[in-house]
Amino acid sequence: MNILNELIKATLETVYMTFFSGFLSVIFGIPLGIILYLTSISQLKISKVIYRIFDVIINIFRSIPFIILIVLVIPLTKLIVGTIIGPKSAIVSLTIAAIPFMARLSESTFKSLPKEMIDTAHTLGMNNFEFIAKILIPETLPKIVANITLLLINLVTYTAIAGAVGAGGLGAMAINYGYQRFRLDILMYDLIILILITQIIQFVGMKIEKIIDIK
Amino acid sequence: MLEVKNLNLTYDGKNYVLKDISFKLEKGEILGIIGLSGAGKSSLLKALNLLEKPQGEILFNNIDLTQLSRKELRKFRKKIGVAFQHYNLLSRKTVFENISLPLILNKENEIEKKVSNVIKKVGLEHRKNAFPAHLSGGEKQRVSIARAIVSNPDILFLDEPTSALDPKTTEKILELILKINQDMKISTIIVTHEMDVIKRICDKILYLKNGKVHYFGEVYRFFSEFEKELNEEFYRDINYNYGKLKLKNGKIIKVIFYGESVGKPVLNKISKKYDITFNILYGKIEDLKNAPFGKLILEIEGEKTNEFINDLKEHVYALEVLRL
Ligand SMILES: Nc1ncnc2c1ncn2[C@@H]1O[C@H](COP(=O)(O)OP(=O)(O)O)[C@@H](O)[C@H]1O
Ligand SMILES: [Mg+2]
Repeated sequence: MNILNELIKATLETVYMTFFSGFLSVIFGIPLGIILYLTSISQLKISKVIYRIFDVIINIFRSIPFIILIVLVIPLTKLIVGTIIGPKSAIVSLTIAAIPFMARLSESTFKSLPKEMIDTAHTLGMNNFEFIAKILIPETLPKIVANITLLLINLVTYTAIAGAVGAGGLGAMAINYGYQRFRLDILMYDLIILILITQIIQFVGMKIEKIIDIK
Repeated sequence: MLEVKNLNLTYDGKNYVLKDISFKLEKGEILGIIGLSGAGKSSLLKALNLLEKPQGEILFNNIDLTQLSRKELRKFRKKIGVAFQHYNLLSRKTVFENISLPLILNKENEIEKKVSNVIKKVGLEHRKNAFPAHLSGGEKQRVSIARAIVSNPDILFLDEPTSALDPKTTEKILELILKINQDMKISTIIVTHEMDVIKRICDKILYLKNGKVHYFGEVYRFFSEFEKELNEEFYRDINYNYGKLKLKNGKIIKVIFYGESVGKPVLNKISKKYDITFNILYGKIEDLKNAPFGKLILEIEGEKTNEFINDLKEHVYALEVLRL
């Protein structure tokens, strides 16, 4: 019974970490992706400079292994959350790792928009904001949903890594019981729940994608 | 209404894809831009739209578009309608919403009414709530044209509007373009690589070759003067060297009819007058937009062939002796 309660609590923690950091990464990552995209297609000198700056920063963050990133952001985590233990603290490092990922994914999705659509926006006299709201986002929406699905699934596995260093959740439980106390049964339950979460995210994501894609 | 002077365009700063292009378009005229793939047709259209920044002058009602600031240009675009080769419709918006887009962007009023009118004009009443993915190619082209004309532009640009369509649908779209041109007195520039499009609806033609204007002027003159080159470049298969034909000993002439002379029995009359017998080797009559255009290749025999030729010359648009 005790174990069951612990499993439920760990599951909720994993779900909480995944979706909270997922939400933040979308909120910051997609606009960053838009900035990358717009500056990359612009002919202006200033745009090229801005693009290079963001490009380098994102590359740096993406090349840091997650486990090292967790350690590096400890001061920031302490500042924001007050502690470095628990699901809330893990959200800081998860989000910092996921934003650049989301930004790159969005950038490459936006780049798949045919160049003629940009011409169309110009000939219709659209400004940047109108272009983003009426063409860029709507035309790539199904792909954006697919990107978010992928992001969340990646975050599930990242929460397990964070779990190893005190974030809680299913990852922490797997290590506590499975690795340190040789309770392989609990390790299996853990694994099954992780697989289920991933499957559900994938299933729902694909469903939404299908509904909004007009074919 | 539109005058282009010494337009040059380069994408990389070195190689010019448009060289010294000049032409003029009067109000209500349809100009066809023709050329082989890679000749620079789309580039010219982009330059005229200021989607690429060209050197030279583009005078639109005496305002040089190349000198406008970005903001001024954005306002000016209302007067220019563009229908793209690949339609470029918004996939998540219905036919009605797609067509209303320019009006919404311009913050116009009575949008519903204006859009309904245009939908009727292009014959899409029954499809107005459909999404682009559910339309046929011809229907998409109609939506694209409707979107281009809904804000009552002074000039309409069409890039290869029929290239992806079957002949029957092409015919319908050409009819639509003609109708719009006549109803709205809208000047139109149409880019194409199909000779038939030029023949059917254009008043003037601009023939692009390697980024240069190879010909600019009336359509009928183009077809008579550039015939040989056209045959070689656009329809290689029907090109034939009639001068080499091994016939008895007759002379071979080529006669071009244009306008009135097509409908008259000149050939018959004049051949009787000089007692000439003729043998038709090739013949074709086509409808150009303003008048029919005919071409005959004849073998002629008789005593007075020279007199016959001189007389016939007076009554037809052009005559050329292919073999004496
Ligand atoms: N965006 C571009 N950048 C560089 N070169 C281009 C670009 N667009 C077209 N070109 C080149 O310009 C020439 C004319 O192309 P285009 O205007 O598309 O011809 P057309 O429409 O007549 O087929 C071609 O040699 C093509 O490779
Ligand atoms: Mg082209």
